Amino acid sequence: MSSAPAARIGTRPYLASGPLVWLATIACTTLLLTLLKQALWLVVPFLLAIILYYALFPTVRRLTLAGVDRETAAGIVAGGFLVATAAAMVPALPWLAAQAVTGEEAVYRYLAGGRLLIERTLQLLESQFGFLKQMDFHAEMSRKLSEFGTTYVKEHLADVLLATAAWLPALLLAPFLAFFFLRDGRRFLKFLGESVPNAYFERTLYMIDRVDGTARAYFQGLLKLTLIDTFCLALGLAAIGVPGAFALGLMAAVLAWVPFVGSVIGCVIVVLVAATDFPTSPWIVYAAVGLFLLVRLLDDFVFMPLTVGRSLHMHPLPTVLLIFVGGTVGGIPGLILVLPLAGVVMVIAGTIGGIVNDPRLRARHAFAKKLRAQRINADLQA
Amino acid sequence: MLAFFQGRNETPRLGTLRQLALFSTLSRLELRVVDGLLHERRFLKGEIIFDEGEEGQALHVVITGRVVICKQGDPVAGRIAEINAGVAFGELALLENAPRALQARAEEDCVVASLSRGDLESLLVTHAVIASKILLQLARQLGRQLRDRSPLTERRPL
Repeated sequence: MSSAPAARIGTRPYLASGPLVWLATIACTTLLLTLLKQALWLVVPFLLAIILYYALFPTVRRLTLAGVDRETAAGIVAGGFLVATAAAMVPALPWLAAQAVTGEEAVYRYLAGGRLLIERTLQLLESQFGFLKQMDFHAEMSRKLSEFGTTYVKEHLADVLLATAAWLPALLLAPFLAFFFLRDGRRFLKFLGESVPNAYFERTLYMIDRVDGTARAYFQGLLKLTLIDTFCLALGLAAIGVPGAFALGLMAAVLAWVPFVGSVIGCVIVVLVAATDFPTSPWIVYAAVGLFLLVRLLDDFVFMPLTVGRSLHMHPLPTVLLIFVGGTVGGIPGLILVLPLAGVVMVIAGTIGGIVNDPRLRARHAFAKKLRAQRINADLQA
Repeated sequence: MLAFFQGRNETPRLGTLRQLALFSTLSRLELRVVDGLLHERRFLKGEIIFDEGEEGQALHVVITGRVVICKQGDPVAGRIAEINAGVAFGELALLENAPRALQARAEEDCVVASLSRGDLESLLVTHAVIASKILLQLARQLGRQLRDRSPLTERRPL
């Protein structure tokens, strides 16, 4: 048993890094997004279920400590959430039903309001700058806008609204999935930890902690950011005088889950609403745009570092690259998923890289396997 | 009906955990929380549990069997301590956030319960009472080990 001392053998870092790990992270994330695209109907409820899991998990933990077993606590919390959501939805149902009936009409009305705003702005620009008048800029842009409205929007709007309606039943899966995450999440992590060989056990524990920590920090940060954004936007829109300030603020804050594009879409929606409801007061629209820019700046420099922050520990360059990959491969769900997915894949790729780079660990595993084989075959050798 | 108000009987698993010094002061509910975090590993005689210089990610408690703490690769001449059932080991790397100072090997077939660094740290935030009870037991164990290794004349409480 005794052998020559080998000092500081196991000193390799747990997480490998470098170009290979980065390439593996980008390749695996792209592959996963491609696979997830095939089951897109499941991805959105799954994503919402993960967000729900991290939002409801602290309550389950409190109940567990108060003496309620894990299964019951998960049932109480997930059931309570479902009942609370249903109770909140009941008063809103007549309004939602009315919106569903007049939805297409409302979209056209808001688009017309937006078009009117653009035309007025173009007229103003033309009156200020002579070269634009010479180019007949207003007439040209109006023709293009009209073409866009009559062809693209009319052709695709009904399809988009129908597709959105078809997603709604799938969203009901979210609380159901969240219940199972709450009930069996810890058991799954234990199962995962126990399924790896002894030699790799501590590294797997580290990987599980990092993956859980990354996802928790990201999604809990996202929820906090959504609350802060909703509060700021609702307060600002109410101060400007835009009706439905809270609903618009919440919608814009949720849309901001889609990196870059979401904030722009949220801003455009609010601008359309303001332009339609206040056709003679363009300053309200400009104030709404100013408010969005201010909240965006606050997000980037104050709120995001405090919430989502550097939870993913990724360099900005691959982050931007991954956002483009996510959008190209998985569309809007791809854009939402790509960063947390890449964060998790990076930890797993780094851990596997660390194991592959550590000959001592592999030797320990081989030694343990040999010991087991000897034990199993002990009576056969005699 | 009365059974509802009476404490439920402790399961054999919780009974086993209560036998371990590290968890002996925990209540039944606290023990259940900790049980949800523990990972059980089985090691064969001679198998390495961790190496010297390795990053420590878990503290371990021997449930059955015996573990030897020794200098790297030298379990006979370099033997430092024997860890019997009920006693924790590998805690220093966690407390000091430093690499493992020595190697741990299974002296005989053993079952070990492991608590990860992440879970211990999250216990400190979410269940501070449980974490403080575990850490107090760890401090007591370290104090005992310190006294046991000191010359006889110095064996008095500091």
